[in-house]
Amino acid sequence: MTEKRELIRNGKRANGREDDELRPIKITVGVLDKAQGSCLLEWGKNMVLAGVYGPREVFPKRDVDARKAILVARYVMAPFSGVEGHGRAGPNRRSREISKVAGHVFENVVLTEKFPKTMIEVQMEVLQSDGGTRIAAITAGVLALADAGIPMKDLPCGSGVGTIDEDNKRMVLDLDKYEDNLGKSDIPTILSPRTGEILLYQMDGYLTKEQLLEGLDKVQSKAVPRLREEMARALKEKYGGMAENGGVEQ
Amino acid sequence: MRRIVLPGEKVFDSPREVESCVKDANGTYATEVSVFYDDKVVPLKGVYVPHQGEGIIGIVSNLNFSGYVVDLNSPYPGRLSDQETMEDLQLGDVISVKVQVVTEVNECALIEPQRLSGGDILEVPAVKVPRIIGRNGSMLNTIKEFTGTDVLVGKNGRIYLRNGNVGLAAEAIMKICRESHTSGLTERVTAFLTQNR
Amino acid sequence: MILDEVKEKFIKGVMREGKRTDGRAFDEYRKISVDTEAFPNAEGGAWVKIGETQVAAGVKIDLSTPFPDQPDEGMLSVNAEFSPLAHPDFYPGPPKPESIELARVVDRGIRSAESIDLKKLFVKENKVLGVFIDLYVLNHSGNLIDAAALAAMAALNKARLPKIEDDKIVYGEYTGQLPIARSVVTTTFEKIEGQIILDANDHEEVASEARFTLGTGDGDKFASAQKSGNGGFTRGEFEYLLDTALEKGRELRKLV
Repeated sequence: MTEKRELIRNGKRANGREDDELRPIKITVGVLDKAQGSCLLEWGKNMVLAGVYGPREVFPKRDVDARKAILVARYVMAPFSGVEGHGRAGPNRRSREISKVAGHVFENVVLTEKFPKTMIEVQMEVLQSDGGTRIAAITAGVLALADAGIPMKDLPCGSGVGTIDEDNKRMVLDLDKYEDNLGKSDIPTILSPRTGEILLYQMDGYLTKEQLLEGLDKVQSKAVPRLREEMARALKEKYGGMAENGGVEQ
Repeated sequence: MRRIVLPGEKVFDSPREVESCVKDANGTYATEVSVFYDDKVVPLKGVYVPHQGEGIIGIVSNLNFSGYVVDLNSPYPGRLSDQETMEDLQLGDVISVKVQVVTEVNECALIEPQRLSGGDILEVPAVKVPRIIGRNGSMLNTIKEFTGTDVLVGKNGRIYLRNGNVGLAAEAIMKICRESHTSGLTERVTAFLTQNR
Repeated sequence: MILDEVKEKFIKGVMREGKRTDGRAFDEYRKISVDTEAFPNAEGGAWVKIGETQVAAGVKIDLSTPFPDQPDEGMLSVNAEFSPLAHPDFYPGPPKPESIELARVVDRGIRSAESIDLKKLFVKENKVLGVFIDLYVLNHSGNLIDAAALAAMAALNKARLPKIEDDKIVYGEYTGQLPIARSVVTTTFEKIEGQIILDANDHEEVASEARFTLGTGDGDKFASAQKSGNGGFTRGEFEYLLDTALEKGRELRKLV
């Protein structure tokens, strides 16, 4: 019989991380040659592959909007993504809901009015999952959009935050799967770094107002700067970061 | 000094009207992964949206009773009335054409079609075209000179190559696309063409 | 699609000169890479790249009830998903005939060659282990079948058996490797204006009039065959396919 995994050992998180520490993140853009933009993102043991097609002609035609591009976000988990049994291929209710809220994040920042009567699709495939997959997927989607050259007014990012102790008081950042399953609360949060606005916010748990604000501050002050750094590095990598000095060609 | 900027990255501390940027009370920000130099923000990728007066290369993709629908390597098709053409065009014909007028929803009417044949098409991101042409056409002339190829560059990123060393011309153009964000490019391309002539 | 016709003309023009657009020989594969460490949550996994084509395979092993007519044998199920990531023409929805065909061709090779001894997957009465292979097409630059077959076989060769306690699977714990008797791979040919090429890229596939896939296993035997497309193959061409498939099959099996 497997014993219940403990989340806190000797006062520290059982997985060895500090309360405000995120898991290791590895990002590469431009990994698929057919999609206009793409991103492979590894966040701890999560692995997400996101791809963008568009702006292109709308399909089905009846969804066309004469004022702006329609944005279609799809979040799907591979049947071999989790440690538990064989999953179903294709979307289920949970992935449909995540697709919807992910779409709201993209719609906020993408300048859709620049491409009326077209469609921009963001496909997010979760190949391996270990808690916090929707945050990883949306981050990968944002990077795929940037890689595709689709104009955005910001690069949203964030992380999960929640309580893992029996007293429901100790807030930590970036819960992995065990912390999410056995802990007391999990709040996936995504912000627009430029304005500080909340673009994604969902919650499982029973918490006070102070706790919610504490969680938001943690994400803003600790998670967002770390994510921005990783995302900037991945996008600039292709171009060597800085283009050298020299004459102007134009 | 050239610098790569990202969407949401501040390029000016005050709000200004700049291409490929947005502004708010606190400043001006890039909207795409771009090169920032000389107070200009030039995106490194992006689809082609037709603008009035531009010379482009299209492929006839559909026929209707008043003319043709032309694929422009863009999310937006172009329409060519059969009043504008001297000869009948077929599906798949490659034509050089000019954008006469563009509607609010980015659809456009085309004029002055000319059928192209005997050559090959190369498609590159439309944002690279200014680099391929170079200041006063200097880069393009260098390529033509060294390869003896007729190179017709459409603003939509479609390039028609005919005669001469087409393969070398195409490779030089791909090199420009890959290194478009750097400086010293003209020298490197000239060296490349000289070596491989 | 009109642009397909433009591509087709270009490919045929180059081929009439005895060349391929990327400079390869007619029987040459693009660069192949096989990564079997990519999906640790699965019992077995592999990420295969052939040129720009990318296909992932995940193997999950779960408890299952056997088929009534084979009560002492485990189950094998192969499914393929053509992700909308992979190509501008792929949309979500029910599986297209191409994706069903791909899954079934890969399945038949593994099953006919008896790569997995299904009798070894018997647990107890009315309980067997089921091996579920999910093929995920991530980028389509041609020759999905060979990439998928390679990924499936590489994943199977690395697959671990889950621990079973009190008639239930203990997720995350394993008791040794899934026993694999032999490896099978496929070799896919396309015919364009009387000329036959191996490992077509997606532009070459557009120009193709007929396709032939042959699955080969250890011992120089054929485990599966599938002819597709409207064109035909002569007997002489068929012999060439058989010889080439055996030769290439040996090389490909070294990668799994």
